[in-house]
Amino acid sequence: MHNVWLIAKREYIERIRARSFMVMTVLIPALMGGLLWGVGLTTGKTRSNASIAIVTEDPRFGLDLQSELATHKHPKIDATVISPPGPGTRAELEAAMNHKGLDGYLWVTPPASGHASPAFEWKPKSRSYLNTQNELGESVRTVLTKEGLAKSGLGAADVDLLMKPIDLDPSDAGKKDAANAAQASAFGLFFVMYFVIVFYGMNVARSIIEEKTSRIFEVLLATIKPEEMMAGKVIGVGAVGLSQVAIWLVAATALSIPGFISLGSEISFNVPPSLMVFFVVYFLLGYILYSGLAAALGAMTSSEQELQQMNIFLMLPLIACSGVIYNVISDPDGMIAKVFSFIPFCTPLIMYTRIAIHQPPWWEIALSLAGLVATLLVVLWFAARVYRVGILMYGKKPNLPELLRWLKYS
Amino acid sequence: MPIVELHEVRKAYDTKIAVHNLSFKIEPGSMFGLLGPNGSGKTSSIRMMIGITVPDSGSVTLFGQPFDRKNLIRVGYLPEERGLYKKMNVLDQLVFLGQLHGLDAATARKRSLIWCERMEITEAIPKKTEELSKGMQQKIQFIASLLHEPDLIIMDEPFSGLDPVNATLLQDTLVDLRKEGRAVLFSTHRMDQVEKLCDEIALIANGHLLLSGSMREVKSTYPRNRVQIAFEGADGFLKHPAIAAAKNYNGLAEIKLAPSSDLGHAAQSILAEALSMARISRFEVVEPTLEEIFIERVTAHATAQTTGSTNGVLAHA
Repeated sequence: MHNVWLIAKREYIERIRARSFMVMTVLIPALMGGLLWGVGLTTGKTRSNASIAIVTEDPRFGLDLQSELATHKHPKIDATVISPPGPGTRAELEAAMNHKGLDGYLWVTPPASGHASPAFEWKPKSRSYLNTQNELGESVRTVLTKEGLAKSGLGAADVDLLMKPIDLDPSDAGKKDAANAAQASAFGLFFVMYFVIVFYGMNVARSIIEEKTSRIFEVLLATIKPEEMMAGKVIGVGAVGLSQVAIWLVAATALSIPGFISLGSEISFNVPPSLMVFFVVYFLLGYILYSGLAAALGAMTSSEQELQQMNIFLMLPLIACSGVIYNVISDPDGMIAKVFSFIPFCTPLIMYTRIAIHQPPWWEIALSLAGLVATLLVVLWFAARVYRVGILMYGKKPNLPELLRWLKYS
Repeated sequence: MPIVELHEVRKAYDTKIAVHNLSFKIEPGSMFGLLGPNGSGKTSSIRMMIGITVPDSGSVTLFGQPFDRKNLIRVGYLPEERGLYKKMNVLDQLVFLGQLHGLDAATARKRSLIWCERMEITEAIPKKTEELSKGMQQKIQFIASLLHEPDLIIMDEPFSGLDPVNATLLQDTLVDLRKEGRAVLFSTHRMDQVEKLCDEIALIANGHLLLSGSMREVKSTYPRNRVQIAFEGADGFLKHPAIAAAKNYNGLAEIKLAPSSDLGHAAQSILAEALSMARISRFEVVEPTLEEIFIERVTAHATAQTTGSTNGVLAHA
């Protein structure tokens, strides 16, 4: 045990000291935050306030549209009605758009015949005012419908009643935010777990190859057992990963920076302690499972390039997990979520996400953990066997029969 | 009580038999040379001595007890393939390796500093390993295998890649360690070093033990059938009938005598003939060098094996 501790300690200290650890610790959240911020910027509200002009022959339509627009808050559109337009109006508006704060104008041409709809021409300052355009379109439709209904003989009060927007709020409005927060945190932690398992699992493989090429193995093997070496390495590298996650979580909780870990700017990072326990349990089991596999891969190959080719075995289940994650988040008790949470290689990520969003029955959690631990033991046994033979083999990558023979070596 | 004893040890990898029923022992306070051509099974034998691999059959006895991993902290090992953590600071690295051999950090640090001074590499202590020359790295690894004051020191090709000054420094250190009563085993193909340093040798080829015993024993089994003559003048005397083979290195003749019941007389008659045609500055009857024995035995073994296998009979030397 002392040897395992020594190996793990060396691995931990050397990695924490390395400049790349600092860079990763700072850069990953910065990149993630930047990415989310960027996504929010391009898909969110492009313009929260706009001031436009409505040009129409029909002043009543203009005023109706103006008051309709005024009832909306997101985006808030201030409209000025110009009615009727003079010969220089268009030029004036163009000038106002270029020099003053005008964001666009709506030019309404009256219909040629009485029953046709008028023609609407929307000239925005920039094409990016997508939200304003949507809002405007909706408002125009509302006003036209109201006019139509009034024309067919309905009273103003009846029209307003008919056109009143319907609320589709869930029965308990307070839960909506909590559910959103849970989804965001679940997604954030899924991503953290995914990243750390991939990155540090690969790190285990890479450091084994490094020791293999530098041939330090023989010195170490002269005093310690291969199993101790592998265990020390997995623990040491894993501890670095945990430290990194701990730094992120503490920083995220303390600062609660919007868009840092959580998805939306309105949702602060908040994870209940019981969920944190699940996170740590599934994270540790998942990490050990994957780094055990990575150790076997590292021992089998003898260069980074060869490792890259073998990587796919490691990445495939993880890629599958990220492929179904949206499905799992939106439907945590659905068929896909259930199936994937019982595939041991996906259990850590998917079962954890399910628990984070909506606690599944206890027996499901217990079953998933049992399957995961059983797989873990098999993988560690396999990895230890491959490791003890593989680290002393240089050159050719073993084929399957050779690999099976390795398992039998004492 | 021997420090190491291999008894009928055998190891096969897939189809190749790396070590074939090998037996020898190393006594305390002796310098043991493990010799053999490349790929003869030296490293495989060493690996089995220290439990990196396990023999298929046969037994390894360390310090008078059947092999037990806990005895490994009494062994210092310098592998043939040198390896250190490249990015690690030299002192940290030595302390780490010392700790793995059961030292506490303070002792490991203290001994590392003393050894670095002894090996004349104090300036390397604060540096990263990758910044050092190959020779320096080798010295660091040499130190790492000695920090825990092992009773058995195993060095696989310790002098390869070192300049003569550093090679001598390492040689002298090994001699000192033997004087302290430690057993030293090293493998090499540099026969001159073996002749100078070793008390005992074992020669293996193709996994078979060809020859073993004390240096004196090994050499005394070979007749003193070599003559060296330094001369000026004609070299017609090299055609003397008592000569089996001769080489003339620019005035230094190395002669191998034909088998005879009286080698001394044969040597004298060659000297008489040489004196008649050249000025002789040196004449010496010597035993064959280890190198000659090595080449002779290995070649004989290889021939025996080829003919053996063509006849369908397994020939063992």
